[in-house]
Amino acid sequence: MRLLAAISIFLFSALHLNAQCILRISGTVKDADTRSSLVGATVSIIELKKTILTDIEGKYVLSGICPGDYTLRITHADCQALDFHFHLKEDLIKTFQLSHAENLLKEVVVVGAATVRPEGMTGELKGKELAATRGLSLGESLQRITGVTVLQTGNNIYKPVIQGLHSSRILILNNGIRQEGQQWGSEHAPEIDPYVANRLTVIKGAASVRYGGDAIGGVVLVEPRLLQYKKEMQGEINLAAFSNNRQGVISAMVESGFDKNETTAWRVQGTLKRGGNARTPEYWLKNSGVQEMNMSAAAGWRKNNKGAEIFYSIFNTNIGIFSGAHIGNLTDLENAIRAQTPPAYIRDEGFSYAIDRPYQDVQHHLFKFKAFSEMVGHSRINLTLSSQLNIRKEFDLTRSASDLPQLQLNLQTHMADLVWEHFAEKKIKGSVGVNAMYQDNYINYRYFVPNYQSVDLGFWAAERYQHEKWQVELGLRYDHRNRFNIKDNDPKPFDLLMGNALVSGDPYGQRIFSGLSGTGVVAYKFSDHLRTSFTASTAWRSPQVNELFSNGLHHGAARIERGSPNLNPERAFSVLGTVVYNNEKWEAELGIYQKGINGFIYLKPAYPALLTIRGAFPAFDYAQTDASLTGMDMRLAYRLTNHLQAHVKGSVLRAYNATEKTWLIQMPSDRFEADLEYSFIDGKKWKQSSIKFGMQHVTEQTHVPPTGNIKVTDATGITKMQSDYMVPPPAYTLFNAEATTAIDVRKRRIELVLSATNLFNMSYRDYMNAFRYFALDRGRNISLKIKLPI
Amino acid sequence: MRKKNLYVTLSFMLMLSIVGCKKDTVDPNESELITTVKVVLTEKVSGTQSIFEFKDLDGVGGAAPSKFDEIILARGKVYDCKLQLLNESKTPVDDITLEVTAEGVDHQIYLSASNALAAVSNLNNDAKGLPLGITSTWTAAAVAGTGTMNVTLKHKPGVKAAGDLVSKGDTDLAIDFKLSVK
Repeated sequence: MRLLAAISIFLFSALHLNAQCILRISGTVKDADTRSSLVGATVSIIELKKTILTDIEGKYVLSGICPGDYTLRITHADCQALDFHFHLKEDLIKTFQLSHAENLLKEVVVVGAATVRPEGMTGELKGKELAATRGLSLGESLQRITGVTVLQTGNNIYKPVIQGLHSSRILILNNGIRQEGQQWGSEHAPEIDPYVANRLTVIKGAASVRYGGDAIGGVVLVEPRLLQYKKEMQGEINLAAFSNNRQGVISAMVESGFDKNETTAWRVQGTLKRGGNARTPEYWLKNSGVQEMNMSAAAGWRKNNKGAEIFYSIFNTNIGIFSGAHIGNLTDLENAIRAQTPPAYIRDEGFSYAIDRPYQDVQHHLFKFKAFSEMVGHSRINLTLSSQLNIRKEFDLTRSASDLPQLQLNLQTHMADLVWEHFAEKKIKGSVGVNAMYQDNYINYRYFVPNYQSVDLGFWAAERYQHEKWQVELGLRYDHRNRFNIKDNDPKPFDLLMGNALVSGDPYGQRIFSGLSGTGVVAYKFSDHLRTSFTASTAWRSPQVNELFSNGLHHGAARIERGSPNLNPERAFSVLGTVVYNNEKWEAELGIYQKGINGFIYLKPAYPALLTIRGAFPAFDYAQTDASLTGMDMRLAYRLTNHLQAHVKGSVLRAYNATEKTWLIQMPSDRFEADLEYSFIDGKKWKQSSIKFGMQHVTEQTHVPPTGNIKVTDATGITKMQSDYMVPPPAYTLFNAEATTAIDVRKRRIELVLSATNLFNMSYRDYMNAFRYFALDRGRNISLKIKLPI
Repeated sequence: MRKKNLYVTLSFMLMLSIVGCKKDTVDPNESELITTVKVVLTEKVSGTQSIFEFKDLDGVGGAAPSKFDEIILARGKVYDCKLQLLNESKTPVDDITLEVTAEGVDHQIYLSASNALAAVSNLNNDAKGLPLGITSTWTAAAVAGTGTMNVTLKHKPGVKAAGDLVSKGDTDLAIDFKLSVK
């Protein structure tokens, strides 16, 4: 009935539409920070190719427009472009505020010189798209971006994978600070509360000259909204509820200023999350609950041409590890795979919020201080100081009751960052900087990696040249990394730390790495509709301490991982080409990449399995090879009518081990997505309503080594040598739906998103989920998200 | 008023950052490691005792086991078997056998010989009358031969039941001793 009504409204408006092309859009464009009018800002209706410049008072008028859905793009030199989607049925008066991209606290990111984020290699989640991911973890949210997949451990631990690369190969910038969590394993998820951000950006493939050259895979930016220097108090409450694991999330934010002169600002934000056991289509996953408690606070001060900002955040999580995935040894693993389903006493367990052993308890603190001072001749100095403390505890199943963890790692990081940005010249803009970082790692209980300290120094410069349709960017960086004081542990209490040989003294020596990384981008704009860019970069990553020195049991993976102390840094050479095309009907983005990584560090299965008191364990050694990753990400959108839009996305990757002439294991298979979205006309009360149906198809990963050194006996008793304990799971297709709307209540807009993933409750397993050996993936999940302004 | 606000905010944040820096206090008696398994066999008729041992002081991974004996039985003889589980990485040595016995209702030991080299019976019971296996009776085969004796300790808190297979639960121990009947 509602659909019928919607269709008739739509038909009526379509008839109506042809009749009157007399509407006008007018308003003012202002600087978001100074509130002054912007002269010479470009205002264009993309669909109609109508463009106008704002006058001396910042005003614009576009007239003779037919009713319909449009996108207005407002741009101004040095400001961040703004897109505004709207439905026009009567004259519209609208004031836009552009935030100064370079002149205020906004960070200069990635490729270097400017906020330029080459189209086609960048993906963003903001506004409506971000609202639909509220309540999910960071990794899970980022999956919406083309070319981003996840490395999953059960249903709570998601690590983002960009074009096949993850962990220490990608850089996560949390509020402009390099996130230094514990990246030792696939079951260590980023320790970030996504509610802090109002925009999540992924920059694929580019080395970050600005923050360290080791981001071979790409960069994830978690960006909060700029502080609002206003006395009036404002804020929002976000609520989210999920059916699958009966998860509830509440997040609230309040902000204001201390004075009327708009020189100070503060913000406090917090999130609480609790979820219970997740459900597959056939059974509950025992002990797969999650709890989170996060908080952040920020304050800022600015006057004339100076400013300072402090930010503190704490992230706390307790993550239950699915009971059926905790296995004792190789035999247990083989039994679990052969059974294809968890044992009855685990499978028959119902729903519960309780989190028992095994579980992880992770805490992350971030403290940031930032100051800037603008100098004569349009340049600026930024100083950023930050401290991070990451405390990770893993609680295994124990024989006797205990409050102590079986593994604890404390990682402390302190960073200092000084940047000089200059944008006086019209054609050349850029920045030069130096970073220093000190790290200290402390370990207790079960040995996994040694204690160590490290000092990293980096020097970099990045410049951008712009001339007519051409834009060229160049960035160069030198890094020096020193790992020292690498020790097993303090000799006392000796017996708490076990594993390894417990060598006393300084058995591991010191490792020093240094090298250059660089990026070059050339972008050319054929027209407003067709743009293209080409990027070439080289980057290197020094081996991580776990890759060098780990020696011990990796729980959750039930394997023994052994480091190789003589590993050398890996070096990547990447080329990336993008084409972006759009017109009234079409939007298309295509990115093609090729990365050659010399000395790619990976876990190589060793044979035979290692004998221990708890039976045989598969052993893996860190080894190096030459890898080649070739792939393509594409996105297409087609506007069928003013209300109906179709989207198609796809990513394809081939990862090859060039030394051993075989495929690399643990790489995401090809995936394709399609959806159809219908947007309703704004009603009196209900605004921005839309419904969307989509499907996602993930292919079977067939590009795995055909043989290996793992002996696998199948159900019929035939023994084969394989590269994995279980062959990759078959392809699957999932369906999902999403409905969004907003309602104005007393001038405040309440936003609602209702969505369903795995709509038909399909049973499937994903190759990138470490728990595919033990259980099915999650079944249907219906969620409701509400955003209330206060 | 303005200054006070700022002060409150700052001290609040300082407090939070101190909370995070607190180091955990550690109870050195707490350890889960089993480094050593001793199989103590007493021949029923003569009363001769022999001890066979597996020892890996640094636990899973790291250095290889320092001791891994072959169990030798005499043809047709009957033995009383007693298992000893120790953590020898500590001083004084921690006897895990006591712990396993005390929490018998959550544990079960499985003993099985390959090639029918020995028959294991008479496993002792836990408080609920289910088999535990710290002590047992072994009857050696009548003919000579070689193979293995598997000793497995399963931990299954709350789910131990009659007739459990060896595949159920979490593995705390799984050792294949070489076994020869002479």
